[in-house]
Amino acid sequence: MKRETITEIVKDWRVAILLILVIGSLAGIYLTPPSLQKGLEGNLQFGLDLEGGSWLQMEFQSVIVAYSTDKPVGDLIDNLQKSLEADVIQIDQNHLEIRKSVSRADLEPLFAASGAKIVGYQEGVSSFTADEVKRILNDKVNALGMQDARINLLTPTGSEYPQYVRIELAGVDMETAQEIVGKQGMFEIRIQTTGNETEHVLFGDQITSVGVPQRDPARQTWGVGFAFTETGAQAFREAALKHGAVDNPQAHHLVMLLDNKTVYSAPLDGDLAAQLRSAPIRSLSATTGTGDAGLEDAMTLEIHLRAGALPVKVNVVGSGTVPAALGEQFKTTVAIAGLLALITVGVVVYYRYREPLIVIPMLAINLAEIIILLGIARFIQQLDLAAIAGLIAVIGTGIDQLVIITDEVLHEGRVPSQNLYMKRYGRALGIIAVSAATVFIAMLPLALMDLSTLRGFAIITMLGVLIGILVTRPAYGKIIMAILSK
Amino acid sequence: MEFARYDINKYSPRQMVALPLVLLLLAGILLGYTTLATGLPLKPGIDFVGGTAVTAFTSDSRETIEATFSGYPLLSVGEGIGGGKYIQFGPMDDARHQSLVALINEKYPDAKVDQIGETFGKTLQSQAFLALLFSFIGMSIVVLIAFRNLVASGAVVLAAISDITVAAAVMQIIGIPLTLGTTAALLMLIGYSVDSNILLTTRLLKRKGKLEEKLSGAFRTGIIMTTTTLSAVTVMWLVSTLGQIQIISEIGAVLIIGLLASLMSTWMLNAGILKEYIHRSGRK
Repeated sequence: MKRETITEIVKDWRVAILLILVIGSLAGIYLTPPSLQKGLEGNLQFGLDLEGGSWLQMEFQSVIVAYSTDKPVGDLIDNLQKSLEADVIQIDQNHLEIRKSVSRADLEPLFAASGAKIVGYQEGVSSFTADEVKRILNDKVNALGMQDARINLLTPTGSEYPQYVRIELAGVDMETAQEIVGKQGMFEIRIQTTGNETEHVLFGDQITSVGVPQRDPARQTWGVGFAFTETGAQAFREAALKHGAVDNPQAHHLVMLLDNKTVYSAPLDGDLAAQLRSAPIRSLSATTGTGDAGLEDAMTLEIHLRAGALPVKVNVVGSGTVPAALGEQFKTTVAIAGLLALITVGVVVYYRYREPLIVIPMLAINLAEIIILLGIARFIQQLDLAAIAGLIAVIGTGIDQLVIITDEVLHEGRVPSQNLYMKRYGRALGIIAVSAATVFIAMLPLALMDLSTLRGFAIITMLGVLIGILVTRPAYGKIIMAILSK
Repeated sequence: MEFARYDINKYSPRQMVALPLVLLLLAGILLGYTTLATGLPLKPGIDFVGGTAVTAFTSDSRETIEATFSGYPLLSVGEGIGGGKYIQFGPMDDARHQSLVALINEKYPDAKVDQIGETFGKTLQSQAFLALLFSFIGMSIVVLIAFRNLVASGAVVLAAISDITVAAAVMQIIGIPLTLGTTAALLMLIGYSVDSNILLTTRLLKRKGKLEEKLSGAFRTGIIMTTTTLSAVTVMWLVSTLGQIQIISEIGAVLIIGLLASLMSTWMLNAGILKEYIHRSGRK
């Protein structure tokens, strides 16, 4: 090929875009940030099955009920809480979150007894609760200094409420993963005696329930309600009486500790002190302050009160673990599969066209497509085994479409004039556009579904189709035209 | 290649569509019967009914493994090369599962273990069904818009249905279970199948020229298209099967079956229908 031909090809904007994208992708994979020590992998992100690690998928034991009632909703909530022995939280005007896995049929009579009706029923938690779970899990993982953790809330298609939370921990075995998720801190309440001295009152096991942050309508302060067991309430009262907190609350702060770190310290409220004088109190509230800062503190305090326990019970519905060595082996295997697929495809098209001037650009374009795909995937999609299957499938479809262009242009073995060439080339792109659109549409549901572990497969396939139709096919058309017209 | 010698112009439309239609019917009956008998058209894998899958590399024989796990609901032991084993268990309660995991950790500390709960499997099942449904509807709409011709789009959709049905029936016969991976492969087949069908339809309906020439031209291109894809997918299947990468191996197997089925549905069924349509509408 002459030098002018090459310059002419490169100057075409379609080819230029292709080259820029390939260079950009390589830079993204290897240079931003520089990652030469990682070898061929560069900055590509791999899924757990190639990286090694463990995942746990947990289902919230909770339902969301839409209701209608003429009576005060407070009574309904109280009744539900008593009969179900579960936390019930109002999430908006006509939805309740019932933190227990209970069927609609079991709920109907309970609602009827309080003069209310169930309008809608779905499994899951409110986004507020879901975010809290995510925050707690995040805190736990961060506290252990784990970098490579992914925590995702999953909402089944057709539902509005998150129903699952999936946690992926790279480089961790199953036992450790379960420990991290299940681990609780040690929560303790102490009371100030004299000076900086404090004395033990009770441990976290005496706390039966913890509420969500609520604002006191009169004082505008945020606070978190919690309840003691009977023994806990007794111990609390005795401590308050014994150390004189009831008589002089300001000098006897109540101190809450999580894993021996103070997380809250405040005096007894005057009203509460008066009540404690006559009897133990089981439900109290710890106030934090007013405004956004008060709310934020209240949210943190709530997590601390739970001592790392999740606000909703969760059941493990799926789990998996891949040892790092096996992940490494899988990586090698899929790399071999990809490379062999590319070579085989090359052999097949060579067998068909017997013309290196056609086959080499074809394979080069196919390789460019894979590089660009990886370059984009580096930012948006981790490569798991399924995504790699998608990648190899893209090699197959990619060549397919280059064959369509080549055959359309080479119709009847003759190289057409410029005009006719453009017409045929346009027609070939038409065929490709339709088939790309169908693949795209066919994969869309999988890509959008939260629950599918095949998102990677779908996203890579769709991305491949898009890059093909927008970048690599037009460039190939130009290149093959320039080559054939010589 | 034997198939390449198939002379697409030699047969009448009736002869062309007969075999694919009979196979479609048989496949439909098989899947229908399985649905009636089990509630699902295909034997579901652990993704959909719950259970535990273990990939381990060990020199232990199949018998040893069976003996080791005799106390658990062992379903099957598959073998690859280099001592690769793929062991499947049915659903079990949490306590059993914990003890199984402990046993696996003790015997094969370097194993990959995945577990799906029974009810979660049900949820995945319904989600996969939704995906398949939406894909199909979306694909039909695209094809309809692209051709604005009921017969042509109908033939393409029928070819895609036939692809998936035949592929599913073959899966059932040779024992490839329905999993998330194979569902994705079936979805992918919709895309692949439409690929060559669109080539055929465009060439026949939108190009000028003699029908015979257009048909054999389209066939030549179509065959090379499918064989390239087929070769890439076959390599992927072969390597992943030998390397015990279950999910890619399953996807690969279904794609191979489906691509072979699509050769038939495109070049016999769809081509036959279009030929008859062009004869009748008096086009040349």
